[in-house]
Amino acid sequence: MTPILALSTAAWLLIAGAVVVVLVALWVMGAYNGLVALQNRYENAFSQIDVQLKRRWDLIPNLVEVAKGYMAHERGTLEAVIAARNQAATAGQQAAAHPGDPQAMRALAGAEGNLAGALGRLFALAESYPDLKANQNMLALQEELTSTENKIAFARQAFNDAVTSYNTQRESFPAMIVANVAGFGPAELLVAVETPAEREVPKVKFS
Amino acid sequence: MDFFAHQDAARRKTGLLVVYFCLAVGLIVAAVYPVVALVFGARPPHLWNPILFLAVAGATLFVIAAGSLFKIVQLGSGGEVVAQMLGGRPVDPATRDLDERVLVNVVEEMAIASGVPAPSVFVLDEQGINAFAAGWSPSSAVIGVTRGAIETLNRDELQGVIAHEFSHILNGDMRLNIRLIGLLHGILLIALIGYTLLRSLGHTRRRRSRKDGGGVVAVLALGAALLVIGYLGVLFGRLIKSAVSRQREFLADASAVQFTRNPQGIAGALKKIGGLVAGSRVERAAAEEASHLFFGNVLGQNLFGSLSTHPPLPERIKRIDPAFDGQFPKVTHAQRTASDLGAGPRPAQAAAAAMGFNPETAVASVGTPQTEHVAYAAALVASLPQRLVEEVHEPLGAAAAMCGLVLAGDPQTRAAQLAILARSSSRVYEELQHITPLLGGLPAEARLPLVEMAMPALARLSPDQYGSLRQVVRRLVEADQKVSVFEYALERMVLDQLGQRFDRRPPARVKFRWIDAVAGDCDALLSTLAYVGHRDDAQAERAFRQGAVRLAAIQSELTLLPRSAATLKTFDEAVRRLAAAAPKIKKRVLEASAACIGADGRITVEEGELLRVVAELLDCPMPPLLPAAVTRPVTSG
Repeated sequence: MTPILALSTAAWLLIAGAVVVVLVALWVMGAYNGLVALQNRYENAFSQIDVQLKRRWDLIPNLVEVAKGYMAHERGTLEAVIAARNQAATAGQQAAAHPGDPQAMRALAGAEGNLAGALGRLFALAESYPDLKANQNMLALQEELTSTENKIAFARQAFNDAVTSYNTQRESFPAMIVANVAGFGPAELLVAVETPAEREVPKVKFS
Repeated sequence: MDFFAHQDAARRKTGLLVVYFCLAVGLIVAAVYPVVALVFGARPPHLWNPILFLAVAGATLFVIAAGSLFKIVQLGSGGEVVAQMLGGRPVDPATRDLDERVLVNVVEEMAIASGVPAPSVFVLDEQGINAFAAGWSPSSAVIGVTRGAIETLNRDELQGVIAHEFSHILNGDMRLNIRLIGLLHGILLIALIGYTLLRSLGHTRRRRSRKDGGGVVAVLALGAALLVIGYLGVLFGRLIKSAVSRQREFLADASAVQFTRNPQGIAGALKKIGGLVAGSRVERAAAEEASHLFFGNVLGQNLFGSLSTHPPLPERIKRIDPAFDGQFPKVTHAQRTASDLGAGPRPAQAAAAAMGFNPETAVASVGTPQTEHVAYAAALVASLPQRLVEEVHEPLGAAAAMCGLVLAGDPQTRAAQLAILARSSSRVYEELQHITPLLGGLPAEARLPLVEMAMPALARLSPDQYGSLRQVVRRLVEADQKVSVFEYALERMVLDQLGQRFDRRPPARVKFRWIDAVAGDCDALLSTLAYVGHRDDAQAERAFRQGAVRLAAIQSELTLLPRSAATLKTFDEAVRRLAAAAPKIKKRVLEASAACIGADGRITVEEGELLRVVAELLDCPMPPLLPAAVTRPVTSG
């Protein structure tokens, strides 16, 4: 009898230790899984932006094609739009491969900004071509472009919300230990690109 | 067995499962105790020490309980977590990939046909043909399908597989499945602790001298023993899992045939699994843990029949297609054409038009949509403007459509509503401008199905965006000082069903087992239903009686409330309480509701919508009422 009784304090300690270890291990698993879930969420949210961006990049060559028929003299502007579109599409591919990556996000925001600028100049020039302005194809394309830009803005907001909640979790106290050990890096917001459409409508946040 | 019997059966199965599980835990405790006692120096025959036994039993139970609860809570927060664990990537409802679009359309049709909000769809990048359904309740379910399945199955076969998964959703298998994963995880944790002990000692032993070797050997032995016991426990657990799972697979196969009335579809899919090199294998490690969720065996065909979660393929095929000769076809990539996007015309559609309304059949079809419902859903989706369908597949478009559906007919209110919308969200307002013309021509009975189609896109809103949408919809509804039946239905569906996905609320537990406990709620429910469809009080009284008869076991007689007291508000409170009633009570409440609205032999769109809300809030997926049963309102509005 005595050997067991003598060791029973040790047994208790061991059991108590095991209980603590199990609780800590479960907590670490929970924190880790939580971070993974948040990461998945913002990556998935980016795919929504991606769908709409692609749609916009597909629309632009059509738009340029229609405009070409009316404003042949403005080749420089038209080529600038196509160049900016191609540049944005490349940046977009990079960003889709690594959503939240600071460099990729900034590159995409920059390229999209250039594209918006080039498009803005095209539309400004189009003002002086009444025939082009009245062209049905042009009107339909412009309308679709506005609608797509609207959707991009909305999806971007969802993405930024997801990135923010990931970053908050990553930096909040006990979870940050897990985040640092497991190498969860900070994610970058996709900053607003002022598209011509956004400049037109009054800026009101959806909240 | 009908839906309600299946729900009860699922609950009983859970009880049985708990018994098996307790048995397994008892065996584990009995196995762990002698090992620990030996390690702590006890020698036979003096192994018995009550204090040590209590400590060992307590610690073992604690580990298993903690591990199980942890996993159940983690997975219970929604089907999405399970899908992500299995490596699923959400399919954008607005996807432009043809294979994925066919999948989204098939899932949508099946959802409308069975009367549940369309589940979010996930794709697993796996070569094998497989699929799963997961979630805590039908309204928060997700469906996952492998890349191999959407690339090799034709539309009918895909429909068969999806119908099989819907059977799991509708029969309450998902909750059982999640509990099963959780319980097994708890047992697995014992093995993990043994493994960790072994590893940690492996490290220290190398560093230390041999002077305290005895203790190390003891703990080493303990680790090894725990590892072995843990894995034996897992093996035992797997036996339980397989036993529970195999029968349900046959049931789901049979239900799939019943839903689509097309045995070739599901049989074809099973044959293709047999003909494909990758079979139904899913490579991802976590798939093993969730093997009982899948359509086919994730490990490929198993030698040990009793450990296999799925019955053998040839047997499954033979039950559906008795002429099967055991020869599996050669599988090639399915040739898709644009016509795959919609279901082709089917003879069943003509039959549907002849069906009248009968409360018994309406309730009997809960959880078991018939071919007519599937055909009706497909026809309904096909009749919607293509642009509108694209819009509700996309978060902003879906949000705008929800706002657009509650816009009033009269110009003054409408202008006030648009002003509210423009102030709170310019983007949704802008988008609505594009959608309004499309919503104009929408038939009244297509409104709720449109809302259900929009669910996956709405689930992709960020929590903030969802919060704003919820608020805006409420303010738009309240703008004209009165809430119409449709507005109420939309609010309940968007707010409640979608809220379940966002707030991760578990569905209500059963609180009321006797119908007398909810008699007052039945009064309110039936009264509102009676007044909505009948302007005349005497007729309403008659309709109320028709419903009340079905609840005859109530000791206190049901009484019709005065018209002024039977508002949507009292109705709402009543339905919410009834959601916590036992399945057999829900069945009778639904039957009474159906009898009440069908008392005069015609059902208005409003009555149909209210019945829909009752079914939805009671978590009883009720297929749509077929066109012949519904009378369009004579007066506009």
